[in-house]
Amino acid sequence: MQVGLKVWRYNARTGERELAEYEVEAPEEATLLDVLDIVKDKHDGTLAYRKSCRMMICGSCGMRMDGAAVLACKTRMYDVAQAGHVPVISAMGNLPIVKDLVVDMEPFWHKFMSVDPFLRPGYDEPPGGRENLIRQERMNVIHKESLCINCGCCVSECNAMESDPRFLGPQALAKAMRFVGDPRDGHKIERLDALNSEHGIWECTRCYFCNERCPKGVDPRDAIAKLGAESIKEGIDGDMGAKHAKWFVVSAKTTGWLRETELVPKTQGLVAAIKQTRFALDLAKKGKVPPPVPPHVAKNVRQARQLHDLLQQQGVNGYAGIVQGEHALGKLAHGHVSGETLEEIYDRPGAFPRPYIEEAEEAVTS
Amino acid sequence: MRVAYYKGCLASLSAKELDSATQALAPKVGLELVELESVTCCGAGDIHEAEPDYYLHLNARILAYAAAEGVDTLLTVCNVCTLNLRQANFILLGDSDVRARVNENLVSIGVPAYERDVDVRHLLWEIAEGEGYEKLKAAAHRGLKGLKIAPFYGCQILRPSRIQGFEDPDRPWSLERIIEACGGEAIDYPAKIKCCGFPIIQAREETALGELIQPIEQAVEAGADAMVTPCPLCHLSLDAWQSKLKAETGRDFKMPILHLSQLVGVAAGLQESELRFKRHVVSVKPMLEKIEV
Repeated sequence: MQVGLKVWRYNARTGERELAEYEVEAPEEATLLDVLDIVKDKHDGTLAYRKSCRMMICGSCGMRMDGAAVLACKTRMYDVAQAGHVPVISAMGNLPIVKDLVVDMEPFWHKFMSVDPFLRPGYDEPPGGRENLIRQERMNVIHKESLCINCGCCVSECNAMESDPRFLGPQALAKAMRFVGDPRDGHKIERLDALNSEHGIWECTRCYFCNERCPKGVDPRDAIAKLGAESIKEGIDGDMGAKHAKWFVVSAKTTGWLRETELVPKTQGLVAAIKQTRFALDLAKKGKVPPPVPPHVAKNVRQARQLHDLLQQQGVNGYAGIVQGEHALGKLAHGHVSGETLEEIYDRPGAFPRPYIEEAEEAVTS
Repeated sequence: MRVAYYKGCLASLSAKELDSATQALAPKVGLELVELESVTCCGAGDIHEAEPDYYLHLNARILAYAAAEGVDTLLTVCNVCTLNLRQANFILLGDSDVRARVNENLVSIGVPAYERDVDVRHLLWEIAEGEGYEKLKAAAHRGLKGLKIAPFYGCQILRPSRIQGFEDPDRPWSLERIIEACGGEAIDYPAKIKCCGFPIIQAREETALGELIQPIEQAVEAGADAMVTPCPLCHLSLDAWQSKLKAETGRDFKMPILHLSQLVGVAAGLQESELRFKRHVVSVKPMLEKIEV
């Protein structure tokens, strides 16, 4: 098959950028990485990209295709080529580019190392040299996090890190959860304390790009939620993010609905909240600061309170409370009215095209 | 179609204009709203993070009360409510052991068990296709007269697509289709699928503002008369926090931000008493003047 690529070439020394176009003959089963190999072998030996295993294990070939981070070795090109689409290939985001598609992973590894990504054993050795047995369900908690191959696709798209490069980010936090949740590790509290710092857990903006992009199903955002839940369970709840989260629990069990106006002082503390007075007054003029008295109370709110009490007794707290849907894998059906497939829906007039259809840009702007 | 209506916290409190516009719009797009009374906050992702088991039960309770109304659809008007409820539904529908335990707990405190399945759907999805879309086209008689509207999706109506999955999270089409059905021109810009920063706007304001400025700046550059969003949390940050962007950057964007129900409502000729633009921080007047409403 004929495959076309547009590749953002970059020279870090001169700062020059250039969109180079290639068209090559490739076998139908070719991945994006295979196509890049063909370009490099037969057309342009100066093209730079990383690769190693070619089988989704080493995590070297993270890059962007049409703006979305992918593993080049996992991305088949057949459908793209068939649609006549020429995708734009560029380096991952949130990391400095060294050359073409190669990014400097140094900031990534720095954050990775900062979470002590290794087991620090803290269990009693069973007597007689026997194995230390752990129940499967204890390990299930960190099953997804253990799948991470450090490719950086999540980091590439992280919206919070784009705004604040100091944010620890989805990869380091997911890796941290892998050890926080490991029953053999003896430093959970110490780890959680460190992760509750300025650029830790509570800087995550919940954009879910990490879950969307991860090629291995790690779901880093879910890992971050587990870290938050475990921190709060352990009483490590001094961060504004933790206070913010806890206020929703208080609101739900007292009035049922969010006690919105009290959220700012409960999160930031009274002094900081007072500094926001002017801003708050501007909002109040528009009815955006609903008076806390009388509270807006849901009917049957006592049930929400009873439910809370009941669950406290049952004690499914912290990361153990997060059901990851391992048994619910699959997708909620949308039951589109006409019974059409998603592809058919995107093909309808007025609908915006799926990727791989060249008119995409024009259709959106026209 | 009769649907259970879950308005969530914001439409009940600081974004009452979303509720009144939605209630007024609903009959015009073929929706009969059954308002749920005994329901609580979905937890907004915060209870999911603070006490995840409580999150699951609170959302199961909402689903149970919706099912008890005998409807098939629970209608939402907020991205975050939609994700929280669909995520809980995803777990409950897919895992009979979890569902049995949750139901046992619900019944023990006098809540009906969540037996019959309901589907959680955002208003956006109801009016972007099918009967809702046809009715919308007929209702939008007044039109937007070529106004340039920047669609802002926000995050949680698109991602994670395993749970939301209505449209391609990288190339969504629903808001554009609605804007065009209303006689507006949908403009395109890269940040329309990115984060508005709201979840951390109190705990990490600086980081949040760094996110918030992107869509507004890009919409201004693309010549938008207004932005529209299906999420009241995005609305709150885009509308109310614009003044903070001004303080931080010196740039006064003056970008009007509309709730989805308001945008369609304008095209359908709803009254100010229903649209309640007076509750916005950034004035919508310049946009309305262009179409002489």
